[in-house]
Amino acid sequence: MLENGYLVASVIVLLLLFAPQWGVISRWRQKRWLRSREAIEDALMHLHQREHDGRLASVESLAGALDVPTRLAAVLAQRMETQGLLRATAGGLSLTPEGHRLAIQVVRAHRLFERYLAYETSVAPTEVHDFAHRMGHALTPQQIEQLDAYMGHPTSDPHGDPIPSASGQMPEIEAQSLVEFPIDKPAQIVHVEDEPSHVYAQIVAEGLRPGMVVRVVERSPTRIVLESDTDEHVLAPVVAANISVREALPGARVAPGERLGSLEPGERATVLRIDEACQGLTRRRFLDLGITPGAEIEVVMRSAFGDPVAYRVRDTLIALRREQADWIWVRRDGRDAPLHEEHKSVEQRTA
Amino acid sequence: MREVTGQGCESCALREHLVQMGVRVDSFDYVLALAGNPNTGKSTVFNALTGLRQHTGNWPGKTVTRMEGAFEFNGKRYKIVDLPGTYSLLSASVDEEVARDFVLFTKPDVVVVVVDATALERNLNLVLQVLEITDRVVVCLNLMDEAERKGIEIDHRALARELGVPVVPTAARQGTGLGLLMQTVAELVQGRLRASPRRVKVDEKVEQALAELVPVIQQAYPDLPNGRWVAMRLLDGDYNVRRSLENGELLRLARSDAGEQEMAIARAHAAHILSHVERLQRQLEGSFRDRMVESLYAEAEAIARKVVHRKGERRWDWDQRLDRILTSRVWGLPIMGLLLMGVFWVTIQGANVISEFIAAGLFWLESKGSTLFNALGAPWWLTGFLWHGIYRGLAWVVSVMLPPMAIFFPIFTILEDMGYLPRVAFNMDRFFKKAGAHGKQALTMAMGLGCNAAGVVATRIINSPRERLIAILTNNFMPCNGRWPLLITMSSLFVAAAFPPAFAAAAAAGALLAVVMVGVLTTFIVSAGLSRTVLRGEASSFTLELPPYRKPNVLAVLYTSLIDRTLLVLWRAVVMAAPAGGVIWLLANMHAGGQSLSQWISGWLDPVGRAIGLDGVVLLAYIIAIPANEIVVPTIIMTYMGAGMMTELESLNDLHRLLVEQHGWTTMTAISLMLFSLLHNPCSTTILTIWRETKSAKWAWVATLLPLGIAFGVLLVLNAVVRSLHL
Repeated sequence: MLENGYLVASVIVLLLLFAPQWGVISRWRQKRWLRSREAIEDALMHLHQREHDGRLASVESLAGALDVPTRLAAVLAQRMETQGLLRATAGGLSLTPEGHRLAIQVVRAHRLFERYLAYETSVAPTEVHDFAHRMGHALTPQQIEQLDAYMGHPTSDPHGDPIPSASGQMPEIEAQSLVEFPIDKPAQIVHVEDEPSHVYAQIVAEGLRPGMVVRVVERSPTRIVLESDTDEHVLAPVVAANISVREALPGARVAPGERLGSLEPGERATVLRIDEACQGLTRRRFLDLGITPGAEIEVVMRSAFGDPVAYRVRDTLIALRREQADWIWVRRDGRDAPLHEEHKSVEQRTA
Repeated sequence: MREVTGQGCESCALREHLVQMGVRVDSFDYVLALAGNPNTGKSTVFNALTGLRQHTGNWPGKTVTRMEGAFEFNGKRYKIVDLPGTYSLLSASVDEEVARDFVLFTKPDVVVVVVDATALERNLNLVLQVLEITDRVVVCLNLMDEAERKGIEIDHRALARELGVPVVPTAARQGTGLGLLMQTVAELVQGRLRASPRRVKVDEKVEQALAELVPVIQQAYPDLPNGRWVAMRLLDGDYNVRRSLENGELLRLARSDAGEQEMAIARAHAAHILSHVERLQRQLEGSFRDRMVESLYAEAEAIARKVVHRKGERRWDWDQRLDRILTSRVWGLPIMGLLLMGVFWVTIQGANVISEFIAAGLFWLESKGSTLFNALGAPWWLTGFLWHGIYRGLAWVVSVMLPPMAIFFPIFTILEDMGYLPRVAFNMDRFFKKAGAHGKQALTMAMGLGCNAAGVVATRIINSPRERLIAILTNNFMPCNGRWPLLITMSSLFVAAAFPPAFAAAAAAGALLAVVMVGVLTTFIVSAGLSRTVLRGEASSFTLELPPYRKPNVLAVLYTSLIDRTLLVLWRAVVMAAPAGGVIWLLANMHAGGQSLSQWISGWLDPVGRAIGLDGVVLLAYIIAIPANEIVVPTIIMTYMGAGMMTELESLNDLHRLLVEQHGWTTMTAISLMLFSLLHNPCSTTILTIWRETKSAKWAWVATLLPLGIAFGVLLVLNAVVRSLHL
């Protein structure tokens, strides 16, 4: 009897301590979370996103976005209301001007950090969002400004979302879903949604990213077929729905060319451009080394194990790894198309 | 001070008027800055003018911090500052920022841009950028001899016309043209030459933005000489320029006598200017850098087309043929292996001879010194502490450390000078890439075999921040020459003894090789672990320049590698080893309860030591030997024998008797000791060096505790497994 009593008592104590949601430890963590910068920043981002989409947020949508119980989301919303960050109306939750201002700053920090991770470090594209989400909250305002300046005040994040300026201005981008875009018209990708992550991983694996020019060649209820620089991409409509495009500027076309990495030693080529997706430290290095459109490049030799490969650019021998050489689009010499025509189309596209 | 002795009349002017003053830079009339791409002979020019022997390796990125020197020319004193070699000034790296800030904020009287005549186009990129900042520029068209060999002709007069600044052709290695260079510099600083530098035109959209921004800046700073350049940097988002605008430093640049009030006004202007900048940046959509660099190179191409003439076929032949062999699938690795083994063989063989010689001399002095002290009636403890403690520790470290370093580093430096080492990095990169590291780490590792502190300093050649940190944190896993004696002793005492005499030598060598391989393996595993976890968010990018092969300048190499590396490292080790010698003597000679302190402490440490297959004495030796690993074996022997000072035994047989018969060492003990020696924390010199190089106490701690943890972990597991299997 007594032993059973101990057993029951210890189960109760354990439950009190460790039960999810209402256990002592979980309560304590919830309380701490409610007061955390992370909770408020995530909530601000959610509300901002909703407003941007033209819908009002609700306690339920907040709970869903933050992955917490509705009860907790309600407490958070209340807290933020007393702090003057949001207003609860019949239609749902909306940001106050102060809340809006703060939200823009949070969005700015998040997108700047995402850009930094994607372009300056070796964090994989599919991991950038989570990484930025976890670490981004710890950034101080000075660090954010330093990041911004270090990257030269970029205007868009790796997914194509605009980065608000320090003073809170954020340009709107016009875009429509790839699913609705007319067939056979050149389209420039302006945005790639990074959630849900498994869909995003598919898009990354296809090599589709903001800035690319593509053409829809086939559309059916089960699949959408795209043509890009060199490849054909077959996407499910749910995947295509996460890609936004706009009509490509006149003159922009699916540029022909090959990746430098596909050339063999002894071959010569002319640089067409550095891939849009290659940004940050690597792009600046390339530029400094004189890898600019029109530069002559010669594949000189492979290293003993095949990679990296040495190239001669502007009379200097430089070794690049395969994946870096693949950022550089070139045209093999000895083809008939004159250089300047090609050059012009590239320039118009970037203009 | 000494006069330059030049040969031939090319250097007559220099010889007559130049007085080298080395590092005495206290008073001067003019400041001269040396800028240029890496590997263009900047340091050679610097050395020729100052008489200093700065290391002039055939490597990009040698001068990481700036070097200063002085000389006198025609009675005027010049301070000369050698800036880091950079491809551009658009601040992609620390080097570029250092160079750029000096040219911009320190406003030298003249900037000499050293240019590689064999790759003019790329070098002009930098020249054009410097010309945007200042018009007091002299272009030193260096390596003319090499260009001539390659059949490249450059019309330097036309180049001067195109650039709008004086151009002087030189061959600094031979001393050719330096007199004329100094003459030109003198005329420029004295205002007898007027320069009208060429300014680069960027595309229309950028020019429009500049046309809008430059007047705004000039209105706020009427005296600023390079408003256009400041505008460009602001549009590109240059953090330093932006900050100098915000804190008023930019005004000081325009007018050095600006008062506090004017500064305040300038700061108020800053917000106004920056709002313009931000708006224009948005219009340009962030591709400013691309456009800017494209325009610079387009300009450089246009100029090069006008002034460079190639005679017949391009002659890269000799270089290329050598490259074909040295990087070939078949020969690349064997050649590298043979060279490396050769270097080690020479080092170990040569060091043995010199080591014995030095040891004999130094220990002779010790016995004489202590005898003298005794004769003078000094108390025994003073003689003991000074001679048998401090002096003996010092002598030990010097005699073990100096010879291998004095042989290893010069050979290594010659290979570096010839341009072979970049090819090694090129060949090995494939493996390092898998571990998230940089191919150049192969070189810093090889350097670590000589000395880990030198290996850590050598990581400066890795220009990607993340990969450099990896190389720094893992360098310790290459056994340095302080650890070689222990490894050699153990492998000949235990491993070789297990084989028939005919194979003993081969077995010992094999055991050493195995230890190094374990070190290499650990390096790769830890590198991969670091790059996938804590260092994942650090900046990273890969480029590797393969400079042309050059004849090594053997004398300069001998001089610089002795000064730069050997003596510097040796000095630091001596500073550390002397106190350690004193501590060891004290521990061995202070008694309590019939036992010396060292015996007490090793007693306490014994359980911990046993758990990892060693004992308390070994651990004690390692704790004392943090300043210098060389003294581990002598300290162990001293404590085992209960002697009062570090000792060595005459023969391996005696050592075998002491360790195996009296203290129960087994082959497993030897293996554990070798692994511990390989994996444990770096010596204090290396830790300090890491701290200085990373400027972070955090990374110094990681570099210390990580290997220590690994050493304990590996040995705990290994010994537990072996014990449970009753091996």
